[in-house]
Amino acid sequence: MTRQFKWDSGLGLLGLLLLFVGSYIGLFVAPAERYMGEVQRIMYVHVPCAWNAMLLYTLAFIFAIVSLWTHRAKWDAMTTAAVEVGIVLNALLLVQGSIWARATWGVWWDWDVRLTTSLILLLLFAGVLALRSFVHDSGRRATWTAIATIVAFVDVPLVYFCVRWWRSLHQVQSTPDTVAPMMVVPLRINAFAILFIAIWMMAQRARLELDRRHQDQVAEPERLAPVGGSSND
Amino acid sequence: MNLIGQVITVVRKDLLLEWRGKGRLISVLLFGVVTLLLFSFAVGPDSTLLRAAAGGFLVLALLLSSTLGLSESFRVEQEQRAIEGLLLLPVDPIALYYGKTLSNTLFLMLLAPVLTPVALILYSVQLDLSGLAVLLGLWTLAAAGLSAPGTLYAAMTSRLQSQDVLLPLLLFPLVIPVLMGSVKSITLILTGDPMSQVGSWATLLASFAIIYWSLCGLLFPHAIEEGI
Amino acid sequence: MSLRAADSATLAVQTSKLGKRFGRQWALAHCDLQVRPGEVLLLAGANGSGKTTLLRLIAGLYKPTQGNLTIYGMDPDQEKLACRRTLTLVGHDNYLYSQLTALEMLQVWTRLRGAELPEAQAIELLREVDLDERRDYAVGGFSAGMRKRLTLLRTRLEEPKLVLLDEPFSALDAAGQNLIEEWIEGYRSAGKTVVLASHNLPRASKMCDRAILLQEGQMLWQGTGSELLDQVGTTV
Repeated sequence: MTRQFKWDSGLGLLGLLLLFVGSYIGLFVAPAERYMGEVQRIMYVHVPCAWNAMLLYTLAFIFAIVSLWTHRAKWDAMTTAAVEVGIVLNALLLVQGSIWARATWGVWWDWDVRLTTSLILLLLFAGVLALRSFVHDSGRRATWTAIATIVAFVDVPLVYFCVRWWRSLHQVQSTPDTVAPMMVVPLRINAFAILFIAIWMMAQRARLELDRRHQDQVAEPERLAPVGGSSND
Repeated sequence: MNLIGQVITVVRKDLLLEWRGKGRLISVLLFGVVTLLLFSFAVGPDSTLLRAAAGGFLVLALLLSSTLGLSESFRVEQEQRAIEGLLLLPVDPIALYYGKTLSNTLFLMLLAPVLTPVALILYSVQLDLSGLAVLLGLWTLAAAGLSAPGTLYAAMTSRLQSQDVLLPLLLFPLVIPVLMGSVKSITLILTGDPMSQVGSWATLLASFAIIYWSLCGLLFPHAIEEGI
Repeated sequence: MSLRAADSATLAVQTSKLGKRFGRQWALAHCDLQVRPGEVLLLAGANGSGKTTLLRLIAGLYKPTQGNLTIYGMDPDQEKLACRRTLTLVGHDNYLYSQLTALEMLQVWTRLRGAELPEAQAIELLREVDLDERRDYAVGGFSAGMRKRLTLLRTRLEEPKLVLLDEPFSALDAAGQNLIEEWIEGYRSAGKTVVLASHNLPRASKMCDRAILLQEGQMLWQGTGSELLDQVGTTV
């Protein structure tokens, strides 16, 4: 247990440190973007959040499959943790994206492909958690969480594709993709930073979930001494 | 008994129940009509606006009615725990799933022939018979797409508290591709399709249906493993 | 009657340290049960003593939290459909669709078992439970007793080797109860195994070969039917 404490808390601290470094470089050292100016700097947290949210949802999908296969509590805990942390990052990226849109185009929401897809994903995976909260039997809850996660994840490419298509018919510019070399460094640093922090949060959450399960696993009652009567032999 | 035979038995049973319980279908249809009316009131008697949004409103009304129909399909199973009676028989859960999904698809298909004319009238949209046929065909694809995850989730939520909230909550974000696909393609049918895009949207609808019919069929036996 | 140490292949039901927990409550624990083929076993105990849980575990509706169980040597987890073919359970619920008629219900159940039920045979079965006059009436209009009798016909439709009954006498009048008693005698002569849970000890204890008393989810006592009556009086 002590060793576990060390590895993921260490990772979390490292992540926090990296976040400071990456954000410092991003805010003060990297050049301003040509067209958008200083506002663009929000990308240094926005993009890493987006990458990691998708990564976590993918991890949740993999954990869900394993959970369904093995029926072990550990994998259910990890699926839940991945979904929850993924949702946190997803919510963050929506807020950041909204701020960016406001600063750039003057509106809080503009139906940008990636932002719209993110909002749908947030609702998709939030549904998994909602379902979970209503199932009290731990075995069934684990199975159903896994099923809902798999069903949600399979939808992701379909959602992305159709939102993109829907938007392309209206020919509106999406957020720019090209990144100057000087910007790559803080971006990568922050990407790893947020990854490490996310892993730390996941480990904590998974541990909490397992603890809750263990609390439920009350030991069998004492065996009753059989009262006399003709035994069956 | 082979799988197909079991599927057919389940479908026959569901269709018989549907026929006997006609009131349910009628109530769901009336609900759809009310929804169409509410949309017009939300927008106002601006016929240009209504005509442009007709496809969207029609699909939304169909979606909302479909969700009601899906949750109903398992209410009848839970009333006297008939579903448990089925689970006690040597019925392959996969046959149970596909039978139920097929009968749900047929039920949902029945909604369009009634709600479409109502929408056409309310929103002053002209449509010839061939256009109507294509529209109904598109809705069939959409209905298949909705039924696959809809049946799975309706089964899972059928005994939970707040089942009325949970089913739409789980289903609506999931079926956004179906929603978009049907809104887009049906709107094109109603307003004209100069670039022949209906085929592409129809392909999206068909892909969604195929993917989810396969996936949910695989997952359903796991979902009912510890009973529903 | 002595029970030789039979291996699990010949026992109708064998459980070893079987237990089921719901949340933090153990509904059944430390259950070591052996049911010989052709035996009629009575499960007695107060409400909440674990009788229903045990029956549902045997029927495969619950998965054990602890221990294991075999049905005629088969593992219900591995051979689910084969086990289902071997047994039938009539529990507290009726498993009916209100809009279907009595005849249609029988036909649905038979078809899903992979067989066809000729109408004449169906009417004959309904006559046994005095429902042939109501065969074309929707089940929704039936009384509780009529519904119970219809559901109990499931044990006659199929040819299960193991018949599980949870409170079969409840909701039935004396005539209905006599009929069930006759059926159970018939099952015994046909070599089928019956496990029934009942509060109606005077009746149930007469027809069983062996009785088990459950308390708080555990097997407390076992013996013959008459010994059970001495042990606990006439009702539990």
